Amino acid sequence: MNFVDIALMAVIIAGALYLLYRSLWKKKGHCQGCDSETCNVKKKFNPKH
Amino acid sequence: MRTQKNADCGLRIADLKSEIANPKSEIKTITVAVAGNPNSGKSTLINAIAGTRLYVGNWPGVTVEKKSALFEYEGTNIKLVDLPGTYSLSPYTQEEIIARDYLVHEKPDVIVNVVDATNLERNLYLTVQLLELGIPVVIALNIYDEAEKKGYKIDTKAMEKILGVEVIPTVATKKMGLDNLLKAITNITNSVSMHRPKKLNYGSDIESSVSIVEKQIQNSYSQLSEKYPLRWLAFKLMERDSHVMEEINIENQSFIEEATRHLKKAHGEDMESIMADARYAVAAGLTREVLKKPEFKKMELTEKIDKIVLNRFLGIPIFLAAMWLVFKLTFDVSAPFGDWIDAMTAGPFRRWAEVILGFAHAPAWTASLATDGIIAGVGFVLVFVPVIFAMMFFITFLEGSGYMARAAFVMDRAMHSMGLHGKSFIPMLLGFGCNVPAVYATRVLENPRDKALTSLLIPLMSCGARLPVYVVFIGAFFTAYVGTVLWSLYVMGIALAVLMGIIFKRTLFKGESPMFIMELPPYRMPSFRSLMIHTWEKGKHFLIKAGTYILAVSILVWFLLNLPWGVEHKKDSYLGKMGQVIAPVLAPLGFGNWEAASSLVSGLIAKEIVVGTMGEIYVQKAADENKETPTLTEDLKEMGTSFAGAVKDSAANLISTFGMASLSSKESTEETKERTPLRDVIKGQFTPLTAYAFITFVLLYMPCIVVAIAMRQEFGTWKWFGIAFAYQMVLAWVVAFVIYQGGRLLGLG
Repeated sequence: MNFVDIALMAVIIAGALYLLYRSLWKKKGHCQGCDSETCNVKKKFNPKH
Repeated sequence: MRTQKNADCGLRIADLKSEIANPKSEIKTITVAVAGNPNSGKSTLINAIAGTRLYVGNWPGVTVEKKSALFEYEGTNIKLVDLPGTYSLSPYTQEEIIARDYLVHEKPDVIVNVVDATNLERNLYLTVQLLELGIPVVIALNIYDEAEKKGYKIDTKAMEKILGVEVIPTVATKKMGLDNLLKAITNITNSVSMHRPKKLNYGSDIESSVSIVEKQIQNSYSQLSEKYPLRWLAFKLMERDSHVMEEINIENQSFIEEATRHLKKAHGEDMESIMADARYAVAAGLTREVLKKPEFKKMELTEKIDKIVLNRFLGIPIFLAAMWLVFKLTFDVSAPFGDWIDAMTAGPFRRWAEVILGFAHAPAWTASLATDGIIAGVGFVLVFVPVIFAMMFFITFLEGSGYMARAAFVMDRAMHSMGLHGKSFIPMLLGFGCNVPAVYATRVLENPRDKALTSLLIPLMSCGARLPVYVVFIGAFFTAYVGTVLWSLYVMGIALAVLMGIIFKRTLFKGESPMFIMELPPYRMPSFRSLMIHTWEKGKHFLIKAGTYILAVSILVWFLLNLPWGVEHKKDSYLGKMGQVIAPVLAPLGFGNWEAASSLVSGLIAKEIVVGTMGEIYVQKAADENKETPTLTEDLKEMGTSFAGAVKDSAANLISTFGMASLSSKESTEETKERTPLRDVIKGQFTPLTAYAFITFVLLYMPCIVVAIAMRQEFGTWKWFGIAFAYQMVLAWVVAFVIYQGGRLLGLG
């Protein structure tokens, strides 16, 4: 185990912790509702969509 | 359609002229509020027009907050605002307050009043109130096809003449009448509409009182007449509407009393009742004018089905049977696809990751992180995605068909025993999909006491995230009773919710339960497209979870299993040591080993992570390690043929609805044994009794972190989550203890 390994591990752990914080707290678990971007969309009216 | 500019030359010239008159930089944006009774199809209409995926369900109260969608029509940006369904604009329920505040304070350019054509009179009561606001209205006479099927003849021209608004027949589910509706909206905003909303006459005595109040407002409180629609404000003052009185806070109210005294004396009622009667009279009179029903009414299919489904003795058994069928079908349809994903993650994906990392000369430990951590952790969760999607499909079908509203109705009596009413069962039903939107859906409940109590009970509803844990254990120990064991867990959750509700009613939430009045929608066959969209909407967040926090936890668990670096036995790792500390608490429940304890701890983030962690702990190497490594082409060929086999098996299972599921069939069990090393390991670690105690514990122990966040958001405090955490931990331990120790006493262990 050298310095590069330790640095790489630290980056991976920090990334995993950030992903956890972002998806659980900021994105509220990606659950249904406006937070999951199902509302406020802009589209053109298309009767066949 | 209007956006097709090259339909003919004439249109092109017209468009050119229009562009010269209105340069593109000045695209007009108009706001259109969509209002109507609950379950009249407002969200469906918006989805049909704007291509959004707002949540719809065939029961009242699906939309509990306003939502919006923006789209372009003939060079105009139209912002559609979906308001919660209301029967009136009185300030009694949360939905009514949200809808009314928006209409009065935000002043949309147009209101689209979605009217259920099969229930004209009741819907027109709201229409009458919307017209009082003085905002231009277009009526979308929705569900028109069903009204026609019933033999109703609605004279839309007469309606337009009486109300002074355009009436457009629509069928939102089939996208019929939408273009006419949009044309009517833009005609109003472009001032080319020939229709002017009429001031409906409530009778000379009421009208004379209203004009007195209106004059007084204009003379003494002119600023109010700018802020509020004058006629509406006059009515609200006469009714002594508590919200309006509080908002405007006028000192001298004697003119209101003077204007209404003779009315109250003549009718012998308060003004609110007098006005409600007057509005009902207008709605009823209008309905008589425009609606012709067939003389002989035959018993409709909905009534025939309801006679059986809502029977006081048969209602609950039918509900339980329906749920059993859902679980059975879920397994029958999804199991072959789960096996396929399992074989892929354990085989080709693992091999490919090793090869790619080898090519990149990555450190050896990264290969272990990728295969034993990420692929084992995330892969074991992905295996259950087909089960989750199948379950969501059947639940969406029950919602869309109108049966879920009946489920709430038949559960009303049980709900009353715990101090709630059937309306609370609706958020709880949503909890079968995911507990998080279910906690948000408690907004539909008017009473804060009901809201808190319902939120406390929602985590007992078994969400889709718990399915992977059940499937692993049921697949390992209860292959002959797949549907029944799964059904027993869901029923246990409901029964314990009733029991805890009764306990809470006598302790934390003393008081009478309110009355429950719920409109039962007609049975409808949900369209396949709508079913697929809403199944996807419900199920996709499990996929997103797998790619986000399940991935993150899998990585962290791998590190916890391998630190201190170079640890020989997983038992001596940080995770192993933590598991060993907790394990003695679980020993009386039959699963007091560090592996189970560690998995339960990681499952606090999300319940499906229990399986992912078990995958990382128990399964070290791919099952086919000693076999000859296949080439990429062989892998791809195997993926294709095994997927075709999964489709064939799934179709065969579906056809033989009551035949045994692939999980329970002998052939498939053998296949599964070979393909899923986790089940094999679990078989060596658990017995059927400890396995059942374990999955019961998973069902009941604390709600996941995201539910905790949702509760914090809804109540503004951690208090209710704290209570849920404490009681669920105790409940889970006690129930698992009773199952394990009781089973041992009966000689089952």
